[in-house]
Amino acid sequence: MAKGKKVTVIGTGNFGSTVAFILAMNGTCHNVVLRGRNYDVTKGKALDMSQAANAARQHTIVKAAKGPEDMAGSDVVVITAGAPRTPGMSRDDLLLMNADIVKMYAKEIKEHAPDAVVVVVSNPLDVMTYVALKYTGFPRERVLGMAGILDAARMAHFIYEKLEYGAGQIRATVMGGHGDTMVPLPKFTTVAGVPIEDLLDSEEIGEIVKKTRNGGAQIVNLLGDGSAYYAPAKSTTVMVDAILKDTNQIHSCAIMLKDDYGYSDIVSGVPVMIGAGGAEQVIEMTLKNLQVRKFKNSIESVKEMVDKLYELKFFDDL
Amino acid sequence: MTHRKVGIIGAGAVGATAAYSLSMMGTCKEIILFDIADGVAEGKAIDIAQSTQYAPQPTIITAAKTPADVKDCDIIVITAGVPRKGDMTREDLLLINAKIIKSVIDDIKVHSPNAIIICVSNPLDVMTYVIHKLTGWDRKRIMGLSGALDGSRMAYQIYQKLGFGAGQTGKLVIGDHGQNMIPLPQKVKVGLVPTTDLLTDEEFAEIIERTKNGGAEIVKHLGTSGYYGPGRAIAFMVESILDDTRSVVSSSVLLEGEYSHSDVTVGVPVVLGRNGIEEIIEMTLNTKTREKFKVSVESIREGIDILEKNGFFDA
Repeated sequence: MAKGKKVTVIGTGNFGSTVAFILAMNGTCHNVVLRGRNYDVTKGKALDMSQAANAARQHTIVKAAKGPEDMAGSDVVVITAGAPRTPGMSRDDLLLMNADIVKMYAKEIKEHAPDAVVVVVSNPLDVMTYVALKYTGFPRERVLGMAGILDAARMAHFIYEKLEYGAGQIRATVMGGHGDTMVPLPKFTTVAGVPIEDLLDSEEIGEIVKKTRNGGAQIVNLLGDGSAYYAPAKSTTVMVDAILKDTNQIHSCAIMLKDDYGYSDIVSGVPVMIGAGGAEQVIEMTLKNLQVRKFKNSIESVKEMVDKLYELKFFDDL
Repeated sequence: MTHRKVGIIGAGAVGATAAYSLSMMGTCKEIILFDIADGVAEGKAIDIAQSTQYAPQPTIITAAKTPADVKDCDIIVITAGVPRKGDMTREDLLLINAKIIKSVIDDIKVHSPNAIIICVSNPLDVMTYVIHKLTGWDRKRIMGLSGALDGSRMAYQIYQKLGFGAGQTGKLVIGDHGQNMIPLPQKVKVGLVPTTDLLTDEEFAEIIERTKNGGAEIVKHLGTSGYYGPGRAIAFMVESILDDTRSVVSSSVLLEGEYSHSDVTVGVPVVLGRNGIEEIIEMTLNTKTREKFKVSVESIREGIDILEKNGFFDA
């Protein structure tokens, strides 16, 4: 019988804390390790969550990491660390600042948790996944970015707002980068198998696509001092669940492409089949001309940022 | 809807498994089982009640001594009826089960006059029609279990082909809950991916065939009908109503002009919520599917005609 599962969450802001909390509430794994910059604060949160797990009659123990060595033996490491996006700040502004942070943690993971599957949620997401892949040196199936699940959840919510039924049953499809060029695919979207084109007119669908693209920014503007974390954290735990429980289910995740959809050596969001080993298979969907163009657009915007990092000699220490 | 009380008429394998699923989910406050066979409802109620000591939420499970004990229910699930045996004709089966339903309905009208009814008795669509006729209730409050079960059987067949995507496949089967049912595997998705990107036409044809034979395949192995699939599908419908989830699920409902048919009960996607059927969803069907739907409707109407011919509705 395999030992209990262990997940390390790097970053104890709202996002990382909520990820750890969901894992503890669901009893998804036996151990959660929280790695934050301030040990006391991290320990306080860990204690609070461990106590909540007891109230929920779950077996999960949450501990604060004293150092990187405490992530040893992790099945999954989630990187949430990074500066948050504040109003007016574009995803690109975060680029260098966060790339340095992700690089540091990726090196730690390589040393202390060499068998883990890494889930990246730091922004700009696709580029950070690229950075994590390069600095862990892991095979691509073990370094995944969380984006499509969140974007699809947002799209599903906006569809629900129009329909007022089907919440939780709406299967939305979003591909491409997790940014302004994401590719929502309403034609692939169904409610319990019923195509949304039978339920909404093209004007309403257009509005939903626009709202989805703007979904993160809308919350940033409303909150005033930070970005969303409930839906992002839940979307992250969907991936963690799929890995730990070896579900072989399909989710949209950011992954390094290798001759997938006609691209290589760039990270983008595509459907993958997730199991214990990470993304065990990339699934190719048939895209129409317009969708192909939008996906290309999305790839190019990620490539631009990666190129910028190369220009800045960010990768020179590889 | 204040009691969250569910009555299950017929505590055979399907009824009991529905009760067990509901208790494990903690969906209801109270479940009451009734069965005409002595001791069956009591024994199963006690067994399930003991299992709930490990359930996440408490549920009260009791057995009714008389039909009158099944009172003030928010939802009543009717599983009563006999299976078709050796020399029984379709006509025989229809008349026997319609009579059983009639006696059940007489009690429900008195003891749970505000309930929503989920019909599970076969032939499903015709029995659902019988309930409409006998109660005269708003059509929103009466539905038959069909697509929820057949859809899960279709999703299983899709998984059998793919080897991945279990539990994340759409469930869409319309038409009757019998040989003319219309599984629509080409329309659903596995996670975010349309099945049309994962399966060939030949595979779709096999999935459709196997879905149609889903019930018979289990009978072949088991010697009796399946009950885990039906039990869990019933629990899903009950949950949708009690929790007012407004979930989309194909169910047998009385059409009044939808899909160009009237005065017939047949499976189509509906929205389930606290009032029962909150909405009937009209999908765009292509010509071929519309043809099949017509055949399906006609097969149900034949059953209704048999009952009419025998004067069943005259009283």
